[in-house]
Amino acid sequence: MKGIHLGILLAASALALYFVDELSSYWMHVAIIAMYYGILAASWTLLAGYVGLFSLSHMAFASIGAYTSQLLIKWYGIPIPISMAAGILMCCAVGGLIGWVCLRMSGPYLAIFTLGFSEIVRIAIATEDQVTAGMAGLHTDPLFPDAATRLPYFYTAFALLAVSLVLMGLLVRSRWGLFLRAIREDEQAAAASGVAVARFRILAFAIASGFAGLAGGFYAHYIPIITPSMGDLDEMAKLVVMTVIGGMERLPTAVGGAFFVEFLLEKLRDLGDSGGDIHLQVPVLGFGIELHNFDQWRLPIFGVILLLTMRFARNGLITPFWLLFMRLGETRAGARPAVTDLPQKDSGT
Amino acid sequence: MTWSYFFVQAANGAVIGVIYALIAVGVTLIFSILKIVNFAHGDLYMLGGYCAYFVIELLGLPPLAAMVVAMAALFLGAVILERLMLTPLYSDATERKDEYGLIVTFGLAYFLRNSAVIAFGPFPLKPPSFIPGVTRIGSLTLTNDRLVAAGLGILLILGLLYFMQRTIWGQALDAVSQSRDSAAIVGINPRRFNSLAFGIGAALAASAGALIAPTYSLAPDMGVAANIHAYVIVILGGMGSTLGSIIAGLMLGEAETLFTAFFPDPTRALAYQNAFGVLMLMVFLVIRPQGLFGRRHLRME
Amino acid sequence: MSAELVRGEGIVKRFGGIVANDAVDFAVTEGDLIGLIGPNGSGKTTLINVLTGHLMPNGGEVLVRGKRVSGRPPHIYAAAGVARTFQLTQLFGRMTVLENMLVPGLTRPHSSWQEAARRARGYLEFLNLAHLERLQARKLSGGQQKLLELGRCLMLEPKVLFLDEPFAGVHPRLRDELIGRIQELHREGRTFVVVDHDMESILRISRRLVVMARGAKIADGEPAAVRTDQTVLAAYAGL
Repeated sequence: MKGIHLGILLAASALALYFVDELSSYWMHVAIIAMYYGILAASWTLLAGYVGLFSLSHMAFASIGAYTSQLLIKWYGIPIPISMAAGILMCCAVGGLIGWVCLRMSGPYLAIFTLGFSEIVRIAIATEDQVTAGMAGLHTDPLFPDAATRLPYFYTAFALLAVSLVLMGLLVRSRWGLFLRAIREDEQAAAASGVAVARFRILAFAIASGFAGLAGGFYAHYIPIITPSMGDLDEMAKLVVMTVIGGMERLPTAVGGAFFVEFLLEKLRDLGDSGGDIHLQVPVLGFGIELHNFDQWRLPIFGVILLLTMRFARNGLITPFWLLFMRLGETRAGARPAVTDLPQKDSGT
Repeated sequence: MTWSYFFVQAANGAVIGVIYALIAVGVTLIFSILKIVNFAHGDLYMLGGYCAYFVIELLGLPPLAAMVVAMAALFLGAVILERLMLTPLYSDATERKDEYGLIVTFGLAYFLRNSAVIAFGPFPLKPPSFIPGVTRIGSLTLTNDRLVAAGLGILLILGLLYFMQRTIWGQALDAVSQSRDSAAIVGINPRRFNSLAFGIGAALAASAGALIAPTYSLAPDMGVAANIHAYVIVILGGMGSTLGSIIAGLMLGEAETLFTAFFPDPTRALAYQNAFGVLMLMVFLVIRPQGLFGRRHLRME
Repeated sequence: MSAELVRGEGIVKRFGGIVANDAVDFAVTEGDLIGLIGPNGSGKTTLINVLTGHLMPNGGEVLVRGKRVSGRPPHIYAAAGVARTFQLTQLFGRMTVLENMLVPGLTRPHSSWQEAARRARGYLEFLNLAHLERLQARKLSGGQQKLLELGRCLMLEPKVLFLDEPFAGVHPRLRDELIGRIQELHREGRTFVVVDHDMESILRISRRLVVMARGAKIADGEPAAVRTDQTVLAAYAGL
């Protein structure tokens, strides 16, 4: 990423932050939730896209982060930032453990195992309601109890997302990022090249789960009540849909997918008349189609979009735009690589 | 705790075991031929159940005929899906095939599950019984529906085994599952058999859904638990082993039912019933990933 | 007295009922250029896998520069200076040629991006691949991929290079180029163990010939002597 790209992104961010209070409370909420999913999408892409570990337990870690944070406050009355940090640490530890257990698993086996773990977490939280209030939901302490609007939450989410992306971006561009990608390309060759595969797989799990815990912790202290379903299979499926549609091989496209799907989901809610019905007139043939409760079909429609994306645009729908963006500032002849010109994820297509 | 309670529970467990085996055999078949884990299998089971229900309600057919129709419909639908979505699995240009299969079937499951809620409503539906009433054997009382489910289920499984081992098509399927290239050289068209395998797998799942629906009712999310059970069984029995799936399915059905029946804390028992299978799954994945009968070093490509 | 770089003592490796390596002793001394040959199924690749840490032996020990490393993961071997290529080239397909070189380069302790890139470009120059550094590795031709794999080994600054069938399916002109490179690197002090079926090439380069058959080592010595050894001839004749 060159200076011009950073410049544009910073300018866009500045504009977003400046104009944010024009948003209605509803759309500000949508934006905040989009950023919550953004952190999750980016960290999941780290695991599934960069290292190739298709984990289905990511949302379970978000719920672990959320519940850990809130329960620590409930039992020990510590301040929120500290409890959130504890939630992150808990997720790193458990994530690393799962990564260690999964060392010899790959592909579908890993997916199934992490799916199983996710279910166990959900069932445990739901069943031990003496501790967690189970399905009734756990009331949470808000980050900004005296806030009149959602604005401080927006800024916080924005800051957390930005910090997360910077940290993950630095990781990806470092030599460890190179090693992680090598593991995905060919684990055996990576080991033969000196990469401590086991160590990095565990680390990748720990780091990704930590970010999930961060997102979960924020979520817990933003919305007033959390339930075990925040980590269930539907949420995980939604995350997969978001990330794959955006592009699961890069951090920016993953975040883009989260924003895209979340905003579209909300926008489609408004579609049709107040009853949620749509009336379409087919020209020429002259008959009309009536779709009732169209807003419910948002989710299956995204399922179809996912399938189409995988079939025809496997890199993701946002990826071509991102690559175009990255081309800005390239000279006509194409720069001759200098010694200091370090390889990017985007080089060579 | 009386002996008759135990025997009734054991019988129920056996019935559930047969249904589980039926589902798992389909997953195994799809895995053997297409080399992917079908993450939508449970939702095909769900769809089969609903299909039979609507055939009974709208067309007035008896439950058994409805089951056959559901199987045929799901077979056809699965073949179409396979042609539309899964052909990239067979071209060398596609990378990371197991990831592709994973995401596509995952997406399919997502689509089916969410569509089902809208199309069929979130409330459970109960189709009419195959044979109403109960049967008494000694001091045991079993519902006829359970007996029919187990009986027909066993018939279907035996039918599949016969098909796989005694018919030309079945043997060709077996050949493709062992080596696509060799099968192609011998003149078998692997593409056709992929469609066949996916179709048969879906039909089996549909039959399981139709068979058990009168006993446990239909709900749009019944596929979720079925999926998980399918994975547990397939891994316990060994990915790629039909016999393993059958045995593991029966074992899991029994173990789960008896665990729930005799767990000291009844309020927690049901909740942890699902967790039981999952825990077994995770333990096996760690200590013996090839399951009871699976082949070692099974790679996807 | 030259240092002993890698030693396998009594290596036993079983797969199910098959004994792929049957109590094999194998020592690589600094400066060696060993050709490892034998009929198909004789256990050559298995032995390489054991000696480079990719397989754990059921019996016996592997020592690298006197230190026991059997059972440790492959990257430990790589860090100790044992490099290898694979029978079917295993590159990081979607990463660029330069990135493929940088991965092993940056696993070395105290390495920096600048220094690793400089070394990488040097080796790419040596292998005639420098102009392709930004190309994705999977887009290279078969021969270029083999050269890149060799380059990846070199980035580890290895003491010993195990080459598994480097000449398989390779164009004669490229094969000569490969042989030339190997010999040049050998002159500069690298040690090689080359497994292949291409007898002509093996005999051209080897200073020492080791023959395996049915999991056991049946000959080990000067090529001229080994070639006339009765047991070797019998092993190949009985093919």
